[in-house]
Amino acid sequence: MTENELWFYGLPFGPAHSGSGNFRVQLWVDGEKIVKARSDPGYLHRGFEKLMEYRMVWQDAVLADRICVLEPLNWNLAFAEAVDELMGWEIPERAKYIRVILSEFTRIQSHLIWFAGASIATGFQTGFMLSIGYRDYILENIFEPVTGARVYPTGYIRPGGVRWDVPKDFREKCEFTLKKVEEGVNDLERLLFSNSVFKRRTQGVGVLSKEDAVRLGATGPIIRASGLETDVRRDDPYEIYDELEFEIPVRDEGDAYSRFWIGKEEIYQSIKIIRQALDRMPEGPHTLRPVAFIKLKKGEAYSRVEAARGEAGIYIVSTGDYKPYRVKIRGPSLLHLIPVLEHLLIGSEVADVPVIYWSLNTCPADMDR
Amino acid sequence: MVETEKKVMARKLGRLVRAVWIFNWFNSCGCTELLPVVSSRYDMERFGLIIVDNPKHADCLIITGYQTIKSIKRVVRIYNQMPDPKVVMALGSCPITGGMYWDSYNTIKRLSDYIPVHMYVPGCPPRPEAVFQAVGLLVEHVRKLKEEVSRK
Amino acid sequence: MSWEEIISEYKPVKQRPRRIWVNVPKEEVYDVIRKLREAGFEHLSAISVTDWLNEGVFEVTYHLWSYSIKTLLTVKTKIPRDDPVIKSVVPIYGMSAWIHERELHEMFGVVFEGNPDLSPLFLEDWDGPPPFRKDFNWRDYVREKFYSKERERDKAYWEVWLK
Repeated sequence: MTENELWFYGLPFGPAHSGSGNFRVQLWVDGEKIVKARSDPGYLHRGFEKLMEYRMVWQDAVLADRICVLEPLNWNLAFAEAVDELMGWEIPERAKYIRVILSEFTRIQSHLIWFAGASIATGFQTGFMLSIGYRDYILENIFEPVTGARVYPTGYIRPGGVRWDVPKDFREKCEFTLKKVEEGVNDLERLLFSNSVFKRRTQGVGVLSKEDAVRLGATGPIIRASGLETDVRRDDPYEIYDELEFEIPVRDEGDAYSRFWIGKEEIYQSIKIIRQALDRMPEGPHTLRPVAFIKLKKGEAYSRVEAARGEAGIYIVSTGDYKPYRVKIRGPSLLHLIPVLEHLLIGSEVADVPVIYWSLNTCPADMDR
Repeated sequence: MVETEKKVMARKLGRLVRAVWIFNWFNSCGCTELLPVVSSRYDMERFGLIIVDNPKHADCLIITGYQTIKSIKRVVRIYNQMPDPKVVMALGSCPITGGMYWDSYNTIKRLSDYIPVHMYVPGCPPRPEAVFQAVGLLVEHVRKLKEEVSRK
Repeated sequence: MSWEEIISEYKPVKQRPRRIWVNVPKEEVYDVIRKLREAGFEHLSAISVTDWLNEGVFEVTYHLWSYSIKTLLTVKTKIPRDDPVIKSVVPIYGMSAWIHERELHEMFGVVFEGNPDLSPLFLEDWDGPPPFRKDFNWRDYVREKFYSKERERDKAYWEVWLK
C-alpha cells in the first residue's frame, strides 16, 4: 500500500459533513471502492480523565454527564455506580428504580437520534423529523420536570442515590410519554424499517461477522446484531436489572439493517422495563444522607453500564483523598469508530459510508473524551 | 465606522434579513439542542432558517459549544471560506469563558480570540427558544441598521 | 487449564461477585493473559495506566471480560516509571488492544513493544510531555497557555489559582 498510495484518490469524510460531525475518516478510493480507511479522532478531546482528578466527587458527578451529550444520564449512572462500589454504599431501593427508569428513557431518546441519523444517511428526511419530534416528548415530559434541564441533568444521578425525588405526577407523565414513544416507533417501523428504499440501502451493507465483532471489541447493539447474545444488564446486572424481565434482541446477519433493527427492538424492551419498574417502585428515601464532602475510601472499582451504544465503563482509583487519584473512562465509541469502522469500510462503496457510519450508533464525544 | 462603510455593510446585511442560511458545523454539545430546532418540534424553517452543507452558501456560522485546539483550526478555515456578509453565533457557556473546561489543556477559552463573534447565547446547552431569540435579535439589529442608513 | 488455576498462584482478590483482581509480575503478564484468552476471556474491556509517582511505577491494568464465565477479571502489573516498556497484547486481542495501547502511549508515554502503530491519536501539534502523567501540572500549563497576565478579563485567574 505504501508506494501505491499515490495511485488512489484520497477522500476525507468529515469533519464538516452532514453525515459525520466532529470526526473524520480519511478514505483512499479506487473508483468507487474504498481500499483503505483511517480514522482521525480528537476533535472533541477535553481530557476528562485528568479533569476528574482535579475535582471533588460532587463536581465529577456533574462533569460525568458531559462525556456524551446524546446519553448523559447513562454516563452519570456509570460514575455514580463506580463511586457507590468504591465506598461500599447500598443505596435505597427507590433510588435504584428511579435510576433504572431514567436510564431506559435515555436509551430510548438516544436510539431515536440514531434513527434520525439513519434517515439522514439514506436521504429520508421524514424519518429524521419524526424521530427527533418524538424524542422531544421525552425531553419535555421526563427530563425537564425530573432533572431540571432538557439535556444535561447536571449530576442528577449522583453517588448515593439521586439528587431529588421525582415529581408527584411522574407516573402519569411516564405513561403519557411511553404511549407517545410507542406510537412513534410504530410509525418508524411502518415508514422506515419496512421501507423498501431503506432496506435496499442498508441490507447487506457493512457486514460484521461474529468473530470479527469479538476480536475488534464491539459491544452493545453492534455485537448483538452479529449474533452474540450479550448484555451488561443481563450478564453483569447492576441496580435492579436482575429482578426485571426483558428480552435481548439478537440477529445473525450483522449488516447495517440488523443493527438498526436491534435498536428498534431495544426501544420496545425499554418500554417494557420502564412499565415494570413503575409498577414496582417503592416509597421511601431517594438518597443516602448527603455529605458535603465525600472522602473516598482507599481502593479501586470498575463499574460497567449498558449504555445505548455499548458497554460504558468507569475505572476509579482512590488513595483516600477527596479527589479520585485516577479515573479511566471506557467509551464504547472508541472501539466502534476506529477498529470496527476501519474494518467495515474496506471494500465497501463510497455511497455506503454514511450508512455504515451511522449504523454503528456512534458518539464521537465519548470516543475522544 | 465611516458612513460609506456603514452603508455598504447595511446593504450587505440587508440580504441577510430575508433568510438566514446556517452552516452545518454542529460540532459539540449544542448540536443536541439544535436538532429539535431543525426538525419538526420547533421547525426553524418557518422563520427562514435553513441548514446548508457548504460554507460558500452560508450566511451564518453557529458554533455549538467548546472547540478544541484541533477543531478551532477547521473553524477558522470554514469561516474564511464563507462569503462576506457573515455572522457568527456561539451557543453555550464554553465559547464564552471555557465553561466547565476552564482548566482543560485542549479546549479554547474564548471564541472571539480566534474569529469575530456577533452573538453569544449562554446556557449549557441553550434552549431552542434561546436560539430563536438570538436570531430574532440579529435580524432586528440588521433592520435597525438599515433604517438608520436609509433615513440619512 | 481452567481460569481459576491460571490465576491461583497470584493470590486473586474477590471484591464482589463477578469482580476479581489479580497482581501479576511484569515478566509473566503476557503469558497469563494469553492463557486467560484461551480459557474464555475473549473481551478486552479496557486497558488503563495509573501513574504512581511516589513509588516510581506505572501500573498497567487489563480489564478482561468473559462472555461465557461472566466475570470481570482485572490483571494488574507494575512497570518502572523511568523505563516504561511492556509487551503488547495485540497478538492476543487484535485491534481492540491496539487502540487502547495507542491511546495510552500518547497519554502516558508507555511503550508497548510489538504494537504495529503507536502514532498520536487525539492531540495535534502537541509538544509537551505526555499529558496524563502526574508530574505534568495541567493547571499551570493552562494558565501559561490560555490566560494572559496583561488582559483585564484574565487577571482573576492569575490572582486566585487552584492547585
